[in-house]
Amino acid sequence: MIDNPYLLLGLFFGLVLLIFVGIKMKWSKIFVSPETRRKTAIEDILKQLYHVEYSGKTATLNAMAGALKLTHSKLVELIEEMSLLGLIRRSSDTIELSESGRDYALRIIRVHRLWEKYLSEKTGIHKSEWHGLAEKMEHNLSSKEADELYKSLGSPRFDPHGDPIPMSTGEIIESNEETLSHVKPDATVRITHIEDEPDAIYQQIIDQKLHMGQQLKITHSDDQFVKFLSEGEEYKLSTIVASNIGVKELNAEEISEAETIRLSSLGVGEKAKVIGISSECRGANRRRLLDFGFIKGTLIETEMEGPTKEPKAFKIRNTLIALRNDQADLILIEKTS
Amino acid sequence: MDNKSGQIDELISQASELRWKIGSDYHDKLTEGIYADAASITQRAEIRKDNSASYNFDRMLDKVLTSRTFGFPIMGLILSIILWLTIQGANYPSSMLDSLLLGTVYPFLKDLSSQLGIVWWIDGLLLDGIYMAVAWVIAVMLPPMAIFFPLFTLLEDFGYLPRVAFNLDGLFKKSGAHGKQALTMSMGWGCNAAGVVATRIIDSPRERLIAIITNNFSLCNGRWPTQILIATIFIGALVPAGWSGLVSTTAVIGIAFLGIFFTFFTSWFLSRTMLKGEVSTFTLELPPYRPPRFWKTIYTSLIDRTIIVLWRAIVFAAPAGAVIWLISNIDISGHSIAYYSINFLDEFGFLIGLNGVILLAYVVAIPANEIVIPTVLMLTVAHFGISNFGAGDGVMFDLDSETQTAEILQTGGWTLLTGINLMLFSLLHNPCSTTIFTIYKETKSWKWTSVATILPIIMGIVVCFLVAQLYRILM
Amino acid sequence: MEEVNKGCEDCAFYNAAELKKLGISVENADYVIALAGNPNTGKSTVFNALTGLRQHTGNWAGKTVTRAEGGFKYNDKRYKLIDLPGTYSLLSTSEDEEVARNTILFGRPDVTVVVADASRLERNLNLVLQVLEITDKAVLCLNLMDEAKRHGIEIDDRTLAKDLGIPVVVTSARSNEGIPELIQTISQVASGEIVCKPHRIKSLPKKVEQAVQSLSKKINGLYPELPNTRWIAMRLLDGDQQILSAIKSGDFISSGNGQ
Repeated sequence: MIDNPYLLLGLFFGLVLLIFVGIKMKWSKIFVSPETRRKTAIEDILKQLYHVEYSGKTATLNAMAGALKLTHSKLVELIEEMSLLGLIRRSSDTIELSESGRDYALRIIRVHRLWEKYLSEKTGIHKSEWHGLAEKMEHNLSSKEADELYKSLGSPRFDPHGDPIPMSTGEIIESNEETLSHVKPDATVRITHIEDEPDAIYQQIIDQKLHMGQQLKITHSDDQFVKFLSEGEEYKLSTIVASNIGVKELNAEEISEAETIRLSSLGVGEKAKVIGISSECRGANRRRLLDFGFIKGTLIETEMEGPTKEPKAFKIRNTLIALRNDQADLILIEKTS
Repeated sequence: MDNKSGQIDELISQASELRWKIGSDYHDKLTEGIYADAASITQRAEIRKDNSASYNFDRMLDKVLTSRTFGFPIMGLILSIILWLTIQGANYPSSMLDSLLLGTVYPFLKDLSSQLGIVWWIDGLLLDGIYMAVAWVIAVMLPPMAIFFPLFTLLEDFGYLPRVAFNLDGLFKKSGAHGKQALTMSMGWGCNAAGVVATRIIDSPRERLIAIITNNFSLCNGRWPTQILIATIFIGALVPAGWSGLVSTTAVIGIAFLGIFFTFFTSWFLSRTMLKGEVSTFTLELPPYRPPRFWKTIYTSLIDRTIIVLWRAIVFAAPAGAVIWLISNIDISGHSIAYYSINFLDEFGFLIGLNGVILLAYVVAIPANEIVIPTVLMLTVAHFGISNFGAGDGVMFDLDSETQTAEILQTGGWTLLTGINLMLFSLLHNPCSTTIFTIYKETKSWKWTSVATILPIIMGIVVCFLVAQLYRILM
Repeated sequence: MEEVNKGCEDCAFYNAAELKKLGISVENADYVIALAGNPNTGKSTVFNALTGLRQHTGNWAGKTVTRAEGGFKYNDKRYKLIDLPGTYSLLSTSEDEEVARNTILFGRPDVTVVVADASRLERNLNLVLQVLEITDKAVLCLNLMDEAKRHGIEIDDRTLAKDLGIPVVVTSARSNEGIPELIQTISQVASGEIVCKPHRIKSLPKKVEQAVQSLSKKINGLYPELPNTRWIAMRLLDGDQQILSAIKSGDFISSGNGQ
């Protein structure tokens, strides 16, 4: 056999294909016990109910089945089990969370948001993946583990998207934000929340490089579009996307009048003053930049570009520091002459 | 005491309450505060003449060394000069050490031991086994390292290396790695263990692990001689004599570039799979140029890098020498252990276009790549009962003439495929034990040490397997 | 405070014959000295100059990662020198910074020498000011002075010493300039001959400063022996878990002298 190269190659590629298919199919999913899958589904329903009620709507079976991608009959079966467990109250068509159901939902949401916080602070995983990973982790962590995580993260109150993290006692901070789609033209606002669901819209927001804490000056707003200026660039968002961005209107003294641009757009030989580091830049990266002295009021100059245009070297506090463009994107500056 | 613990609890709860009052930008505020103090103190104490001549010189040098036109050519030129000096310059002292340690000292010790009437197996184990392995490692390893490291260190002390990292970061970023990996990679061309230690300059945990795991894809100086010898015998022989030098050199450079390709590929693969979650930060400070202090640099780099690495290699090579001698000399029902092992490995060796002798040599030569070729020759001669070569079972040797070496290898059943695959396998196999040990010391993790050890072997086996099958189909 | 910044090669205190570099043999040290500093400030060169050891130094950030130790003997006293990893700060959570921070905080060295690059004073002071929040006994070694001069930078070390409240020694460790003065200053701070009054961070926003003060007072009530309650308060406000558990167990008190 070992001197038949065709057969061997065939076997080899067969094996590779098998492993590849195995990874694609996610082996782990096949071995999940039915109870675990049931528990996950119930927890997802609780969470969905909480979100619906939080936004002041009432939940209907049809809308739920659509949102959770469950068949109608499966959903009915689960709902019945949940009302037996006392997690929900049902009337003819609408569903409501009971007290204990609400507590349960908040526990799940707490783990979800804590885990997103953890991923943002302690790992290098890209923000577009936080939500998906937290969706899995929220079903796996016990309350005790969640409390330990909470402590080790330094008792955070908000997740990286600006959503409040529920306390272990079930308390949750109510936020009183507006959505970007509702802001009137000429107002100046700051982004306080970026909703990470649904995925497609969140991806659009990320692609636009919009980030928490960014200051926007609204120039136009109607039923279809919101236009605004920010960090030296002009943006145009559809209302659907804009409604997933929470903002806080700024009053006169909070508005930074500076012509804010990103450090990445500072050409070689140009000088500027640092306004701050965007809150998108977190954890070790942020602290390292602070240590180098990238803080408010610091003078900075682009000294040179590498042969491949990236990274660029900046002169700051008499030191040459090279930064990549994605880092320089997060440093906000104001040009000086 | 209860009172105290009550007070402590109160303190902690007060602290957490204050944290929320201050808000999440506390760390920023604190740093701003410290820097504000620093700035005012500096202003009082410092007198700065702007744009001194020396500052402008630094900037001018930077403009040239990182320019789009000259940046890469200068880098390539400097690297070629260093590699050329290392490989060419090492030949002479290497052959001197060789004739001293193997040609003079070895016979002298053999004579001495026979005069003293030392039992044959002690004499064999100590002299033919341990001494020979150590002598090999010193003769092959010391000269190139003693040339390569000081040159490299001079560039480092001058401040050129951070500029190389700056130039290449764009490329490395695409594979998820750090520009400074360019340096640890080049350091690996001298010695992988030294390359792994050098990854300390990468302060991002993820990129550092990538650099450690992929360092093995830089052909170290223990492997350059293998590549050159095999390329000369098998690839150079394919073309007319006048061309053979050029063709075999190209083949060796090709393998080195293949190593660079695997470095990028593996970096890319790891950063998207196993290392996805690790924290990644990028910082690269470009220090001012400093005139290196020539003799001090040479001295410290010899002490610090060359001697330490050499010492570790010797420590690992000595037992390997003993093992090689033992497997060739312990007989079980008429045949040596080596004989059984080679027969056992032969079939798998054939599968991946190598043979049992090569695989056994790679198993026993884990401690040092330098002794692979002498071990292969010794095992081939003993296994195939070739007479008039070598100094006896378990005694490693090398031949001055490439024709003779080729003759032995052909008797051992080697073909062009065996040659090509040996070159590939020499690039893609586990790091030597010195490097494995260093990786463990640097990462303090068995997991990453195992990944760094096993990943290249798997890649080597797969690549050799595919090449072997394709060769058999096409030829 | 003693005036320490005059040329000291021939002054009464300094006695070259009394200096013996001990390399790595540092049992039974009378004093423990920690060597902190930003990366690439020539910290390892200073370490080598003091101990006679030859650690490799490169023109790079982050050559020394593990903690190196060495020693010297001066005027019959034995000094153990700990070379900490080069860090830009003590506030972050990288492994190096934790090693450096813990050695100074929990190890309580008799003197902490901070090596700074004279041509990048401002950035180096970031670390110096943090060290001064943790310890009272510190010496600033203003290194790479030759390079700074070449770049047209001069530093008034007396003003600097006055502002920082600790002795400042100007060195060019590569050519051994200033090392005798450094040794002498270290010995004077260690023996208590020089008493430091270190600068404490002043420019904090009001809200932060008030929080720091009220916590600091509380900590002082609990652990009156602590010299650095302000700094611990700052760390608590950052949610530093290690400091939190140290507060609970009282770890600051029990340990001493870098053991």
